[in-house]
This record gives sequence, C-alpha cells and structure tokens, in this order.
Amino acid sequence: MMFACCRRNTFLITHKRLRLGFRCASSASSTAEPADTIFALSSGQGRCGVAVVRVTGPAAGGALRRVAGLSCGLPAPRTALLRSIVHPQSKEVLDRGLVLWFPGPHSFTGEDIAEFHIHGGPAVISGVLQALGSLPGLRPAEAGEFTRRAFHAGKLDLTEVEGLGDLIHAETQAQRRQALRQMAGDLGHLYNGWSEQLKRCLAHVEAFIDFSEGDLIEDGVLNQVDIAVPQLQMEIEKHLCDERRGERLRSGVQVVIAGSTNAGKSSLFNILCQRPAAIVSPIAGTTRDIVETSLDIGGFPVLLSDTAGLRDTGDCVEREGVRRARQMVGLADLTLVLVDSMQLPQEPQMVSGFLSEYLKNVLPSAKDHEQGYVLILNKSDLLPKEHISMIQNVLTQTSDMAPVSILSCHSREGLDDFLTLLQDRLKTLCGDPLAGSPSLTQTRHRAHLQKCVDALNQYYEYRDTDLALAAEGLRLGLSSLGRITGKVGAEDILDVIFRDFCIGK
Amino acid sequence: MLRLRGLLIQHHFLSNCSARTASSVACREYDVIVVGGGHAGTEAAAAATRIGAETLLITQKIETIGALSCNPSLGGVGKGQLVKEVDALDGLMGRAGDYAGVHFSILNRRKGPAVWGPRAQLDRGRYKEFIQLELLNMPRLTVIEGSVEGLLVSTADPEQPGKHTVTGVRLADGGNEILSSSVILTTGTFLSGSLFMGKTTSPGGRMGEPPSCSGLTHSLREILGLKLGRLKTGTPPRIVKETVDFSLAHLHLPDLRPTPFSFINTHTHCKPEEQIPCHLTYTTPGVDRVVRESLHMNSHIQQDTKGPRYCPSIESRVLRFPGRQHQVWLEPEGLNSDLLYPQGLSMTMPLEMQLRLIREIPALQRADIHTPGYGVQYDFVCPTQLFPWLQLKSIQGLFLAGQINGTTGYEEAAAQGLWAGINAGRTALSMPPLSLSRTESYIGVLIDDLVGHGVTEPYRMFTSRAEFRTSLRPDNADLRLTPKGFEEIGCVSSPRYLEAVRVRQGLSEALSALKSITMSPSRWKEKLRDACISETKSTLISGEEMLQYKDVSFDMVASAFPEILSPYLEFSERIKIEAVYRPHCEKQQREMERMREEESLSLCPDIDYFSLPVSLSDEVREILDRVRPSTLGAAMRLQGVTPAAIVHLLNYVTRTGRRSRAVAHTDCF
Repeated sequence: MMFACCRRNTFLITHKRLRLGFRCASSASSTAEPADTIFALSSGQGRCGVAVVRVTGPAAGGALRRVAGLSCGLPAPRTALLRSIVHPQSKEVLDRGLVLWFPGPHSFTGEDIAEFHIHGGPAVISGVLQALGSLPGLRPAEAGEFTRRAFHAGKLDLTEVEGLGDLIHAETQAQRRQALRQMAGDLGHLYNGWSEQLKRCLAHVEAFIDFSEGDLIEDGVLNQVDIAVPQLQMEIEKHLCDERRGERLRSGVQVVIAGSTNAGKSSLFNILCQRPAAIVSPIAGTTRDIVETSLDIGGFPVLLSDTAGLRDTGDCVEREGVRRARQMVGLADLTLVLVDSMQLPQEPQMVSGFLSEYLKNVLPSAKDHEQGYVLILNKSDLLPKEHISMIQNVLTQTSDMAPVSILSCHSREGLDDFLTLLQDRLKTLCGDPLAGSPSLTQTRHRAHLQKCVDALNQYYEYRDTDLALAAEGLRLGLSSLGRITGKVGAEDILDVIFRDFCIGK
Repeated sequence: MLRLRGLLIQHHFLSNCSARTASSVACREYDVIVVGGGHAGTEAAAAATRIGAETLLITQKIETIGALSCNPSLGGVGKGQLVKEVDALDGLMGRAGDYAGVHFSILNRRKGPAVWGPRAQLDRGRYKEFIQLELLNMPRLTVIEGSVEGLLVSTADPEQPGKHTVTGVRLADGGNEILSSSVILTTGTFLSGSLFMGKTTSPGGRMGEPPSCSGLTHSLREILGLKLGRLKTGTPPRIVKETVDFSLAHLHLPDLRPTPFSFINTHTHCKPEEQIPCHLTYTTPGVDRVVRESLHMNSHIQQDTKGPRYCPSIESRVLRFPGRQHQVWLEPEGLNSDLLYPQGLSMTMPLEMQLRLIREIPALQRADIHTPGYGVQYDFVCPTQLFPWLQLKSIQGLFLAGQINGTTGYEEAAAQGLWAGINAGRTALSMPPLSLSRTESYIGVLIDDLVGHGVTEPYRMFTSRAEFRTSLRPDNADLRLTPKGFEEIGCVSSPRYLEAVRVRQGLSEALSALKSITMSPSRWKEKLRDACISETKSTLISGEEMLQYKDVSFDMVASAFPEILSPYLEFSERIKIEAVYRPHCEKQQREMERMREEESLSLCPDIDYFSLPVSLSDEVREILDRVRPSTLGAAMRLQGVTPAAIVHLLNYVTRTGRRSRAVAHTDCF
C-alpha cells in the first residue's frame, strides 16, 4: 500500500509541476533528462574469488556495451556471457569475466542493470570501477543508493522490508566501525578539517547576506572567506594530485632494481619472479636493457624492472642501458638499491658513509625520501657472520638510513625478512585493501573531492556579481565533502535512511 | 480611486462597529472563528473567507485591527520573501504595504536576486486603514469586538486523530458561546502576557490595551494539556520628531523608483518623490554607561526567558558587545506623524533612564520621549504539537498561527495566519488539509522548521534557512504559488490567477525566443557593442546564454532583435534573472524531488508508539510519541531515531496502511 501510494504521489508531483508551468517548463526538461547512472561493488569488500560490480540506471546498457566490447548489441536478458572487460579509453584488457544484462523494469532497482562478475583482486576491481567512472553519466553510488532506487520502484516486498530493519542495524554497526577506522586516520582529520573550514566560510557568507544591513556583522567578513576559499581549494587539488595510491593499485607499483654492476640485481629479479627471466652471469654489465615483468607480491600488483648496472662505460650500447636505468629509477614508486657486500669498506665505521655516497649515485636527489627505496646488501654469504653483525650495529645507529636488508641471493639467507619488508612498503604504497577497501572508497573520495573543487569555482565566478550564487557554490562544496565525512545535510532525508546500507546491495 | 475609498472607510467602519456587536452574533454558527486581529489573525480571516468559509473574527478592539505594534516597516531580507509569497496566495500584507509604504528600498541589491530583500517604511495609519477597509468589506466575514475566555471542546471524532475536538468559543462578560467547527488562535503576545518597564510589571500583551483573559491559557494548558513555553520581546521608546537634530545623523534615501511588494500592483500608492527619508546614527560610550547603571532596575533583562538574538534590545547588545558603536535607525512613523521610531533602541529600563540613554546620542541630545519602550513576556504553544497545516495534533479543528507558535515578526505571523486560515476553511468545508513543501516556498520552510524542530528562541526567517534559496526567489513567488493557490488550494481570485498565467506565458515565450537566437561570439560582439564578451568560445551562443553575462541586459538583446523580443520588454528584469538562475535551479531539481517524495510518506498521526508491535527501543518510542512526526521524512530528521527504527516503522505503516484513514487523507497532498 505504502508503495502504491508513493507511486501515486510521484505521479501527482509530476502533474503538479507541469501545471506550475514556467519554472517547471525548465524542470520538465530536467525530468526528461535521465537520472544518474550509478555503479558499485556489490559483493563483499577485500579480496575474494569473484567480485560483482553492478551498474544501474539509464546508461547501464551503454556502459555494458562499451566495457564488454559488445558492439552489435546487448546480450539476451538474464543470460551470462563471457567477455573481456576493456577500459573504454585505453582499450586495455582489465579482466575476463561474466556479464549479465537485466533490462528494467524487471530488475532489482526497476531500472536497467548491468552486472560484471570479475576476478576478486583489488587491482581488477579498482580497474573496472575506474573504467566505469570514466564513462560519461556514470558515478560511484552512495551507500544504500541501490536499495533506495529499488524502494522507489516499489521493488521491495513486505518480507524484504521486514528483514531490512535487522540488516540495517547490523550493517550500521559494521559501517560505523569501518567509517571510524577510516576517519580516525590522518585522512579523516584532513577531510574533517576542510569541512570545518568550509562550514565557517559558508557561515560567514550567509551572515553577510542575512545580517549585514544591521550592524551585527563585522566589516570585511568576506575578506576572510576570499582568503580561505582559494587556500582550501589549492589544498584539495594538491591532495588529489598526490593521491596516486588508487592508481598504483590498478596499474601496479613500479618497482625498480638498481645498483652498480654485478651487485646481483638480476639474481634478485629472478628470485622475485620465481623463474630465470633475466640472464645472470658473473660478468659485469650482463644486463644492458630494461627487463620487465608483472608480479603479484603479497596480493599487490607490481611491475618489476631489472636495469643495467650503473657505471661509466665506453660501450655505447651499455651507456644507453645506463641512461635507461637512471630514467627508470626516476619514474619508480620504489627502488630496490642493491649493493655488493664485498664492495663495502673493511672498516665498519666507514660503511654508512659509503652507503650514503652509493645512494646519491643511484637515486636522483629529489627522490631520497624514506618511502622511495629499500637498501639491500647482497652476497652476505661471502662475509663472515661477525662482520655482518658489526655492520648491522653501525647501521641501526645511523638514523638517517632507511631499514637495510642484508641477504644473499645465492644462499637465500635473509630473503624472508626482505620479502616482509617489501610487502610492508607495497602495502603503504597501495593502501591496505583489507582496511576499509581503499580502492573503493578512493574512487568515491576522488569524485567528491573533485566535485568540491569544482563547486568552489562557482564562488569566484559569482563573488562580485551574485553572492547568493557564490554561497550556493560553497554549499555544494560542503555537501560534497559531507558525503565523505558522513555529515550530510539535514535536507537529504532519504539519503540518511539508507546511508547505513552497504554500497551496492 | 484609493483616496475616494479612503473616504468611504469611515462610513463602513462606523456602520460595521454598530451593526456587529458581540450579542448580535451570539448563538450563530460559523465555519471558522479567528481569535485576534493582528497580522496572523487578519490574514487567517481573509484566507478562510477566500476559501469560501463563513468566518467570524473576534478582536478586543476593531480599532486596532491591522496595527503595527512595533516597527513601522515591512519586509527585509528573508521577510520580504514571505511578504511576496503571502501576496502570491492573494493575502493582504503585500498590497497593504504598497498602500502604506512611504520609503521603499530593496536590501541586498548587490548580492543577487535570490536574496534581495524588498522592504518599506510604513505609515502606521495607512496600513491599518487598508487592512480594516479590506476586512470590513469582505463578504462572508463578520468582525466583532470581544474577548475570548475559553474554548468549547467535546470528545474527539474517533475516525480522526486527536483527543478532543473544538466546537466553538466562549466570550467573556456574559459568557456567550459561539459555535464553529474550526477555531484559529492568533493571540500574539497576549497569552499570559506581562509588560515590563524598569522594575514594574503589569499584565497585558501591548501597552495601552487590556490584558486578554487568563481563561484561554488555562484552557490550553490545563484542559487540553498542551505544552507551553515562555518567550520575551521588546519595543523601543517613540521619540518626538521635532526634538531631534537630524543634522547630526546620516541621511538615508529610499530607492528612486519604489518597487511594489504585490505582483498585481504596477506602482506604489506613495509617489516616488513623496517618499520620506530615514536617518542613521550611532550609540556612544555614554549609552553603554547608562545601560550598566540601570541594570539593577531592569527586571526584564535579568530574567532567563529567551529573547530574540536577532533583534536584541540595546541592553543585550551593549552587554554582548561592549565598547562598540551600534547603529540606530531613526525611522518615520508615517507621512504626517510627529513621532520617530529609533530602530535598535528597544529597551526596558525605567522611563527616566530611557530618557538619559537616548540623550547620550548626539542627534537625540535634546529629544523627548512620547511613549516609553517596554518589554513583553508571553506564553507560546510549543509548535511541535502542530501538524504542517497548523492544526494541533491533539485537538481537531483548533489551529494556531503567529507569535503563539513562537515566531517573531509581522511577516512570519502573516504567513502562518494565511496558511492556518486556508486549512481551517478547508477543514470546515470538509476538504482535506494541505501542506506546503520546503521545496516550493519560504512559508513551507517556516512551518516545517516550526513543527519539525520547535523553537528555543523567537523564530525569525532568514534566507539561509531555505536550502533551495536559488529557486525560491522573491521575483518568482507568483509563478511558484499563484497557479497552485487557484487550482489546488482555492485561495486565489481569478483575476490574479489570470495575471500570473499571462506572466508565466510571457516569460516562457521570451525565454524560448532567446534560445532560438544563436550566433557566434564575434557576431554577438557586433550586435552588442557595449558588452564584454569573451571571444575565446568557438561554439554558438544563444540569447539566453548571453544574458548570463553580467553586463548584458535583456533590453540590450531586445534592441538588437526588436522584431522577436520587443513584446517581452515588460518582463525585462525577470527574464534576466531567470536566464542567470535557470542552470542553477535545474541542478537543484533532483534534490527537490527527493525531498518531495519523503514528505509524501505520511505517518498516521494517532499511532500509539508505546504499544506498537514492532521492534523499537523505548528511547525511540518516547521520541516518536513526543514529537509525533507527520511524515517519515520528519521522523528521519529527529535526533535519536535510528535508521533501523525507521524501517520497522515503515514496515508497520505499510502493513496497516490499508486500514488507516489518516494515511488516506494525507495521501491527497
């Protein structure tokens, strides 16, 4: 009954609006204009065998055709079809998976739905989500938005509604924990801080609009806003540029092995890819070009490169190899700096000085921050144990040195410790997919942050001509931020009802 | 014409007074009884009669109907929007303002049309004259003098929500009873009102008028069990004009071309050159000193009762912002009035201190006080006990409007009065009540805020309260409300409706015509030599888009294409505003629709939340029982109501929806 009446009301509203005429003549065009098409990961978060990504809305069919390369038409309704999933811009194949087509109104939401059943790795999921996000008219779903659409289409029957109460309760708790986890971190601080700043700006403008004719408002209240808004916008833009972690997850972390000749770079390379992909020989300068391979290290996608040993040489081929190696290091997310332990100075006190020089030679100056490299002393089997522990002692006392791995590619000693260290680094670089599914949240965060930045432009655009529209820009910006920090405006009542639902359910 | 009618007033006034004494209407039955003749009461009575209800207005003195008891001005930022909306629904206030205004200006002129604040200084006498002329000549409306002592109440109709039903009112002095199925209380500050000056307190709601009967408060609190609260407000002393040295104040001139409030007026009654100025002056450190010295003899200020933060007394301004200069506007009380209204100097100290205080201001150093300032404390009924159609949830047929609901300001009162009058009339005539949405009007925002959140201080309208401010503009109130007022509500006369339809048609044609003109930027530049158009765009630009440039006016475009656009020159300003705002309004459409859908999910008003056989925590049950939200949307906004509770509630309503009459009738909205 409730649903029937809700449908009837929708009809009445439309009817009313037609009669309201002029204002609605414009709104009629926006009603005819299709609603947003939204997408989300519908299956559980974190790594799993198969992941389901759902798209609902008028552009779902188009999205399915473009991403699944179905140029001649849509598949038969409700029939699984095995397709390559392709990025619509780069044409890169992201995965092979099942696609399904549920034309409206006989679907969960009553709208057209496309489903992608893909492999559950974070890189694949993130890749498919980003591919969908790049299509015009598609945006990531808000929490519970699928359910809300189903609700509005009258698709939830009584038993479902009955069950929902308990479901929401459980998921509210889970979601709150997840949100807390995300929001307790630096990112949460950052977003909340922006939100507070923007709220203040908006409050100032509103005060100026509503009160300046009396004397309750200080002069120059807008000047503060004029300073704060561009600062805020710049900060957010910078954050958007810096945030490459989601992309790393998709395209793989660029890891480069570099060092002087004959340090054992290719040996390490072969160990990491568990096959003799690069030629290993005792002759210095064996590797001349870049050797690349894609790997999964601890669940993280890695694009690993072996490079030519860095040395001055008269051989023009090898010189080109060294140039390429340096270029590769410049582009890397993580450089594994390999050192031949036999080259270390005999005197342990000299070791840290030697390593600093060595690093300066391998890494371009801009890159020598902690995150960028791991120092590896190879061929530890060739040094006496006492000597190694002495070097270790010296290095732990030198605070400006990143943690150093001492290992032997030959005896495989120290390799496990190195792999743990490497995984930790990769985890930081990609974000931990198990902690609140960053690939997923980041797609949303980016979309909302970008919207916020765009909305703030409206402030400048109208600052001097129409303060009401300028304030509207701040309002829109704030509500975009609010969708990340969870503080959605009171007006979004239905959003609030369903916000505590899991995305895409 | 109006002047001629002015002469007729006296005649009508007298005949009405003599013809309609309290005794002559006793034992009659009316569709609607309105108690109170202030801004809420007059709009309520007028709206009820427009709906078609036989209406009785009971006021203490016919002479004070339409009195401006505080400031001699109307409109402003936010409030101006309300005046325009009341006018769009064919209310009195806008036209009365156009008749009585003596100084018109649009506030916020530089801040964008959505927040323009149409405002006017009024001639008190003329305002009253207009309102009385309208009311006393209104068909189906009877006006009597009298004081209401109590409400007649019987047991509720079990088919409808509520514990009681109102059947009429009992008058004081003789105890005559008048029957009616709908009663609107608009008693303003008279509900247990007390006046404060210095350390003296006397009962009353307005200086110089008898207090209203305490019987009404008793009825509301003790018999009907309503929750009441207490608020305070105040008014400044009136100053003798000829004792003021205007050379020591800044002259403030009105707009050269006065803009009427009403959509059906093309000009104001006052000619542009007849308008009179205001003056602006400032407080001095001496004012601070007098405030401090008089604090111990100022009982109004010492009380905890909540006063308006936005229209503070000079005492609270000095206490909150010591050492600052505060603005004091010297406003005329009328064309021929000998008095000035010093806006910003509302005060409650003893009379001799009031005189000392104003004389600390240079322009007022020899000024005399005609009437002292004073404070008022009064009861209000917590408005969360109301439906969005302003009827009490627990009492069938009893409506409240104005300050009794915790608001402040003429415009807020008039807006509620109008809406209560419409619904009281509809209820009496067995039509379903109506709500206005936040998405379509400031009146909707006002009422939704009141019934949804209640008040902790006197509620005043601000533009920032309206989330869809860009769409709810003063310029388009007629398009938003007049057609609806005629077609759905029935409170708008047909000439006004036809005018709104004509305007709507004209605007729509003009915008289509503008869209049909498309040219390259360079061609536009040739056509409009004065405008700065960036030629970087290579795409074609439509006439509508051209108007989005700051310097391009409709007149400019029309002069380039006179054959297409000259028929629409009368809408010039409105077309420009529409062209600039349309893209922004379209962005808001989807959010507005979502809100309308939420507002349409109604909750049966007589649900017994404590025995409801669904899984709800006691805390949630208590909140729901206390507030009794009328829609699911309102329930969701309540603090402490969990999403899980909402779904359980939805489930319950869905199951019982078939049987629930309440759902059926609110469903009509």
